[in-house]
Amino acid sequence: MGLILVAAVALPLAGAVLTWWLRRSGVGVAAAALALAAVALLPAARGPGWWHRVDYPWAPSIKLDFALTVDGVSWPLALLTALLGLLCCIHNARTGPPVLTALLLAVQGASTAVFLADNLILFFIAFEAVLLPMWAVVYRYGDPATRRHAAAKFALFTVAGSLLMATGLFAAAADTGTASLAQIIAAGGVDRDLSLAVFTLLALGFAVKAPLWPLHSWLPDAHTAAPTVGSVLLAGVLLKLGTYGLIRVAGGLAPDGAAEAAGALGVLAAIGIIVASLVCLGQGEIKRLIAYSSVGHMGFVVLAFATGTEAGVRAALFANLAHGLITPLLFFLAGALKDRTRTGLLAELGGLRLAAPALAGLLGFASLASLGLPGLAGFWGEAFTVYAAVERGGAWFALAAAAALGAFLTAAYLLRMLKHVSHGPPAPAVEGVAGTSRTEIALWSPLVAATLALGLAPGPLLDLFATGVL
Amino acid sequence: MESQSIDHAALLPLYLAAATAAVALFAGRAAKAATMIGLAASGAAAIWLAAGPTRRTFAVDDWFSFTADETAMGLAALFAALTLLVAAISGRTESEYLFLLAVSAAGGITLASSRDLITLIVAVETLTVPLYVLVARPGRDGAEAGVTFLIASITASATALMGAALLYSAAGTVHFAGLAPALAEAHTGLVAAGTALLLGGLAFKLAAAPLHSWAPLVLERAPLPIATYLASASKLGGAIAVIWVVHFGLAAGAGAEAGLVLAVLAVASIAVGNIGALVQRRTVGLLAWSGIAHAGYVLAPLAALSTASGRENPAAAASAALAYAVFFVLLEAGAFASLTAVRDDGGRIDELGGLWRAAPGPATVLLISVIGLAGLPPALAGTFAKVAILEWLASAALWMAIVVVAGAVVGLAYYLRLARTVLLGEGARARPRFTVAVLAAGLVLAAASLAPGLVLEFTSMSQ
Repeated sequence: MGLILVAAVALPLAGAVLTWWLRRSGVGVAAAALALAAVALLPAARGPGWWHRVDYPWAPSIKLDFALTVDGVSWPLALLTALLGLLCCIHNARTGPPVLTALLLAVQGASTAVFLADNLILFFIAFEAVLLPMWAVVYRYGDPATRRHAAAKFALFTVAGSLLMATGLFAAAADTGTASLAQIIAAGGVDRDLSLAVFTLLALGFAVKAPLWPLHSWLPDAHTAAPTVGSVLLAGVLLKLGTYGLIRVAGGLAPDGAAEAAGALGVLAAIGIIVASLVCLGQGEIKRLIAYSSVGHMGFVVLAFATGTEAGVRAALFANLAHGLITPLLFFLAGALKDRTRTGLLAELGGLRLAAPALAGLLGFASLASLGLPGLAGFWGEAFTVYAAVERGGAWFALAAAAALGAFLTAAYLLRMLKHVSHGPPAPAVEGVAGTSRTEIALWSPLVAATLALGLAPGPLLDLFATGVL
Repeated sequence: MESQSIDHAALLPLYLAAATAAVALFAGRAAKAATMIGLAASGAAAIWLAAGPTRRTFAVDDWFSFTADETAMGLAALFAALTLLVAAISGRTESEYLFLLAVSAAGGITLASSRDLITLIVAVETLTVPLYVLVARPGRDGAEAGVTFLIASITASATALMGAALLYSAAGTVHFAGLAPALAEAHTGLVAAGTALLLGGLAFKLAAAPLHSWAPLVLERAPLPIATYLASASKLGGAIAVIWVVHFGLAAGAGAEAGLVLAVLAVASIAVGNIGALVQRRTVGLLAWSGIAHAGYVLAPLAALSTASGRENPAAAASAALAYAVFFVLLEAGAFASLTAVRDDGGRIDELGGLWRAAPGPATVLLISVIGLAGLPPALAGTFAKVAILEWLASAALWMAIVVVAGAVVGLAYYLRLARTVLLGEGARARPRFTVAVLAAGLVLAAASLAPGLVLEFTSMSQ
């Protein structure tokens, strides 16, 4: 099984190189499909705790091993990455240039390596490896008006975050004498005196990536400028690197520090939820609105993690994954809408319900899922977040109230968006747009199906999280 | 008085380099071939010695002036290889040029083995003096570069010598092995002044602030192959000189003073270099200014000696600094060599626009080098360099790690600009030259990226 772990990381990377070399997107799609198959095979023959493990020494003097492992926390995220990678590659193979496919695969491979890394140095290197291809996606294939600025901002924010995170990782590795994530978690993290410093450094790094208010300002720019596939991977995969890092790595390496910093983290998360919702209420551009809604959703994840309770951490993991399904779907739909109408301004849209009913229906579905309608995936994570915060009592009650208010505002702005886009008489830009093609439906259906499945039966995923090592 | 026996085998790389210089001067047309063969032989001898047991020679009691251990011989081989690269990308040259280059290489090869202040300073001077002539191209600009380099270098040498003299007067010996116990009991003011002057003077070779301002001016005006040498081999010499003095001489007896001086130098270099590079419009200017920042990163691990936790493990500080220096000069050599391959002079950055399409080979090496200097994957050589110093600083001096991080973030801004110009810009025309040399440089970078152990093993120092 170790070989499959390696394959899950190596296949997308090899696919990226081959696609670049041969300039054929088909190769990339094949590699992404194989990678998805490899990740899907991982639960077979699994043991308790960590399922499988490989470990090859690479550079012992800097504690770097090529060590991969997987468990109930990282596997769903790896699967999500592989799924979104495949969908993006297929989407791009129809219309986009092969080099973009290669870049997407590079992002996918590096992100998978982040989720599966068991060595802190490897984790850092994989984290850094995401930066350049994603920068290139935004810079090379983004919206001509804003891409340069957005790409530069993305790169600088990310590298600042990841280097601060690296400092925290290295401090933890020096303190515990090992760079193995599993071993450090098993040992209960770093020394108590160092814990808060390590957690602060790690949390700063991951908060940039997640992103947590007030370090989020790169995200709306990057999302708005990025091409559709870029936005999908940003929302579905890159943000997850931040939250996964926060929950697994920062929480695992410095549990004492996490407990000490919980209040600050919770307050920032609650502010983030409210601020993002208010910004969304006044937002006039659809991709920017979805981007800001991500800031709010990630606020829920961070708030749930900050409560530190078992229910809270599971809510965080669940909300994280649900966001990874719903927001990419929203970006796919927004991309399809912008391709057809050549505008993303809410003021210029309207009446999509009449012009393209299937597209409007899907947009409605995704919006309802995103605002947390019971029965869809978005509901459980956010409901449990509020529950976990209430359970802590005291001042946390205020944060729970803020989160609940945020959820209400989320419903308000998403319904406002639907009102502008779908209802009313068809706007000139919307009139006569093409309906959804069969390929598009096929492309989006896995996300729709997963959103429904998780919404109707959250139990299996929650049980899977419970088997994870935290 | 009985003369002691000398272990001539330990000196073999030096003999070969010196003989190469002599042969090159008289070989006429065959000078280039002779130089390259001689340097390759010198490098091979160094690798052979590195594989064998440690040899020491020129002893005063237990203190040796010359040590041919794995680290020293690895560095000697690196000096030979870098000089070989410079000779290869020099095009058609006169025998005097090659003579001077080989003499300089001999200085570098000696430097790595030196274990006393006199040998070290003589080696640094041997490395530097030939460059006075080499940096000066015919014409006014060349003369300006030559004079600037000459004056800056002599000032720095005098400063370093003064520092060495003060340390000698404080400790009563010039041997590194003798300095350690003696300095701990010597007059504090004398030690502090000697340390500051010696390190300040040697940091000139590394182009660390505050003695940095010669570097952009000289690199821009010197011929590109010589700029390659200045940015790689010569900087490696500066790094080795500083690391050797600190690690073997000062860490035990005057670690706190040295750490403090180096902390000032490192922070100043990182700040000045990055801000300077940010406003550069010329390729060589950008690499030169960012090189100043990198000099700061080389010194940063040693600066951790200013803290108590840093002084507990001085060998780790020296290893981190040396590993960074080696990765850094490899990347610099790659960047300058690939630039030499496509241009006669440095030129503006936008003149490299679209080089990726015009000359894919050199452009790839240039991109790997530039991304490596920014410390990002897939150019892992640079990432490993950053990991090496941050790992040490995270455990020894967290504030210094934050300074390095801040510098690296600024660094990304200008490296990314250069990289995207090469990749996506337009307008470059190039007829690539020196394909084999640039390819070799690229292969070395790829090897260091895949198997960092090659570098990290021989740069790890024990006391």
